[in-house]
Amino acid sequence: MFEQEPAPTALLFVVFGVLMALSALFSRTAQRAGIPVVLVFLVIGMIAGTERLTGLRFEDYGFAFRIGMAALVLILFDGGLNTPMVSVRQGVRPAAILATLGVIATAGLVAVAAHLLGFSWGVALLLGAIVSSTDAAAVFAVLRGSGLHLKRRVSVTLEIESGSNDPMALILTMALASALVGGGDLSWVVAVEVLVQLTVGAALGFVFGFGGRWLLGWARLETGGLYPVLTIALALVAFGVPTLFLGSGFLAVYIAGVIMGNGPIPYRSGLLRVHDSVAWMSQITMFLVLGLLITPSILLEVAWIGIVLALVLAVLARPLVVVLSLLPFRYPWREVTYISWVGLRGAVPIILATIPVLLGVPGGEEIFHIVCAMVIVSTIVPGATVRWLTEKLGLISAEPPPPPAVLEIQSTQILDGEITSYYIDEASAACFARIGDLPFPKGSLALLIVRGKKLKAPRGDTMLRPGDHLYVFYRKEHLPFIQLLLGRSQEE
Amino acid sequence: MAIRDLLNEDVIVSDMTARDKKSAIIELCHRLSERRPDLDQGRMVSVLLNRERLGSTGIGQGIAIPHGKLPEIDSLVTGFGRSREGVDFASMDDSPAHIFFVLFAPAGAARTHLDALARISQILQDEKVRQMLMEAEGPGDILKVIDDAEKRLEVS
Repeated sequence: MFEQEPAPTALLFVVFGVLMALSALFSRTAQRAGIPVVLVFLVIGMIAGTERLTGLRFEDYGFAFRIGMAALVLILFDGGLNTPMVSVRQGVRPAAILATLGVIATAGLVAVAAHLLGFSWGVALLLGAIVSSTDAAAVFAVLRGSGLHLKRRVSVTLEIESGSNDPMALILTMALASALVGGGDLSWVVAVEVLVQLTVGAALGFVFGFGGRWLLGWARLETGGLYPVLTIALALVAFGVPTLFLGSGFLAVYIAGVIMGNGPIPYRSGLLRVHDSVAWMSQITMFLVLGLLITPSILLEVAWIGIVLALVLAVLARPLVVVLSLLPFRYPWREVTYISWVGLRGAVPIILATIPVLLGVPGGEEIFHIVCAMVIVSTIVPGATVRWLTEKLGLISAEPPPPPAVLEIQSTQILDGEITSYYIDEASAACFARIGDLPFPKGSLALLIVRGKKLKAPRGDTMLRPGDHLYVFYRKEHLPFIQLLLGRSQEE
Repeated sequence: MAIRDLLNEDVIVSDMTARDKKSAIIELCHRLSERRPDLDQGRMVSVLLNRERLGSTGIGQGIAIPHGKLPEIDSLVTGFGRSREGVDFASMDDSPAHIFFVLFAPAGAARTHLDALARISQILQDEKVRQMLMEAEGPGDILKVIDDAEKRLEVS
């Protein structure tokens, strides 16, 4: 009955649609329980892929690899778009060390542990390389989805590290897996390759970032809906081109995102919202598909190895690497502790773990499942404790709550005026001032007060109270003065 | 209310030694508390730092106007500082701050507070004034530059 098209396609849509809906719906419950959302997607995929339960059989590592890469590109691009330049300046140096030397050291330490468990050096090193990078998707999800506002330097270091350390892990994994298959040996060639990849990737990232800015400003598209099409296309090309020419596509797409997100781009708020959605969809799809690949019986067999290695990683390797890498930057111990603990592993290792299978490394499937077990353990343990730890270490920043309503200008043009909301804190000079007393420059205006769930029209005699969100229309050149009067805008 | 009436040579630090935000604020409050023994230095510092938490009062172009409310005073209190080397004040344009106006307002005087902030930034908006402040010999000179600049504002 299901043999003839369009029935099989329809069936696939129904199954996948239901799985996606379940993932989206469960995310809220999971968050409350402190389980990282991404893990829920993985488990749903795993259950759906259990042959005995559902009759679904999915063993296509190549397809999963491709989906995973596409998803990762879109997630990294979105992460880049949302990274303010101020953050980059603060976090780039520590993150750069963590993302290069840190990755190598982590891979080495995990490899030693794996070798002690009885793996040959080749396989042990491969395992280490696969799990050596923290996962941007998981870290972004935990940091942004938790509603926690971390102290800036900590979150910036973590985000930029995880946005930029995948290239290193990918290069190491490819090199080690090829060496295992071809019997060739590793040499200084790898070191040179790493340098070339990072340099070319970074350079092309800048090219695509600035090129993208120019393209968006130059193109006059008919409808707002076409702008995200352009940016998604840019993300794909910014990954693809460097990858074809010896560069790291991951690094390039992340840098391109950062540059475009910090430039004057038209239809900004709309674009960011679309990319946020696309990133979530990519994440769900990627974890579902990777979950489908997991065979529970094999997973159970190798689970103990995964658990041991994950614990070594979380308790020994990661902390050691973080402490050493951050030594020159004199981070306070609380921040070092936090960064050590929240080096979440996620989809990246699982995607990388398909490489040995694809290249035909002996025992590839076993490696894949060990990595899956490691990811699950190392996501549950730090993931579930992240909220508690943030509070315990006092790293929650005094970030004001977001306003319950949003007022914004939507335009496909770049305009010279903006609307921004300000949180009125007791310490702000404008607190308990009447709207009429605000010495706003000409061309600026208070537009709306959001007080709790009430919207209030700002009249001359309306008094600003602590906790209010005040929406102000202003010209760009007046921004510093307005911030002096009111405090920090909530856009930052 | 004129800014020059709130300043005198004693509250002007013409060569600040601090290089970072916190010590700059301490240095400026220390000078104020010498002049006004009734004001507690620690209180003043914490009020200013509490405002900085909302975002830097370094408004760019080398200017910073740390300010806050101090319930124990009944009229505005100001101080001035100049740093030739520059202070890392996490300013909005990321450049170091050289010219500092400290401002304390009584509680319940939001309007006076806001007007003073507006006036100070208006005075400092003129690039020539900033340059003259940087080149001024000492507190007396600095006071004169501010005085002249404010008078010019009133005429125009």
